Amino acid sequence: MYDLLPDRLPWFVVGPGLGLLIVALFMIANQPLGASGAYTQTSGLLRRQQGIAIWRVWYFVGMFIGGVIVTQVLREGSEVRSGYDALRDVFPLWAVVPLVFGGATLLGFGAGRAGGCTSGHGLCGTAQRSPASAAVTATFMTTAIATTFVLRVVTGGDL
Amino acid sequence: MKLNLVGLLFGALFGGLLAGAQLHEYDTIHAMLRLAEPDVFLLMGSAIAVSAPLLYVLERRSMRTAFGGEFLLSRSKPQKHHYQGGALFGIGWAVAGTCPAPALVMVSSGALLGLVAIPGIFLGLHLNERMSGGSAVGDGEHRELTMADQ
Repeated sequence: MYDLLPDRLPWFVVGPGLGLLIVALFMIANQPLGASGAYTQTSGLLRRQQGIAIWRVWYFVGMFIGGVIVTQVLREGSEVRSGYDALRDVFPLWAVVPLVFGGATLLGFGAGRAGGCTSGHGLCGTAQRSPASAAVTATFMTTAIATTFVLRVVTGGDL
Repeated sequence: MKLNLVGLLFGALFGGLLAGAQLHEYDTIHAMLRLAEPDVFLLMGSAIAVSAPLLYVLERRSMRTAFGGEFLLSRSKPQKHHYQGGALFGIGWAVAGTCPAPALVMVSSGALLGLVAIPGIFLGLHLNERMSGGSAVGDGEHRELTMADQ
């Protein structure tokens, strides 16, 4: 709407910013700045389970709102589109949909089994110097880079 | 009540920062994972480089947090499920080019395939919960979520 932000803030702004946000949430609520737990709590609320941490559901909603503020309000605003440009250059839409859904299911399953994702283990757990988080992070970085390499070879270097 | 506001605020700041760095775009994550540009690695590294020393210092002084009781970090030893979960997460991350928080921001940005990714993440978490028979709390190193102010 307002075109106040550049298209992409540099890593040396966003990285330290995230670092301070992680410290602040630990100082205020003693909780990691994760994301998969917010999904778990939100899905629990939708299924009317007992003992849901409601604040994590607000946090879930907050992530979406924060995205809207930056992409639609502070920037010029982006149009409704499919997304996944590089993937769609290589595959037709009927193949992209199951790829995205299948990949997302796999990463959700893995995040549940590992007890965290890129933010919970990769950032917050590692920052707490947890050996388990370091192990999870090293593992997912390795398989993600290897999988990307395989995809690149399979598509003849197009992806 | 107040804790819900903290949740909303921190969620919004988190989502906003991810959007600021375009982490919700498949192309950004894909360029990172095919080692074409170092930005996201540097971003994650600098987040840890800033937070780890501060958490180290804070841990050494006893203090109470406003909502979570005693300030306490948690550390645990790697177990089999950490490696299994991490390995599957990495494969899915590479294919879907997104992870739980950026998938939400993807939808914020108008990219409709985010609406395909989010149900997939819910389904995956749910399948794991059913297979392991318990509800995984799931934010990395975690503690109980029940708090006074709710």
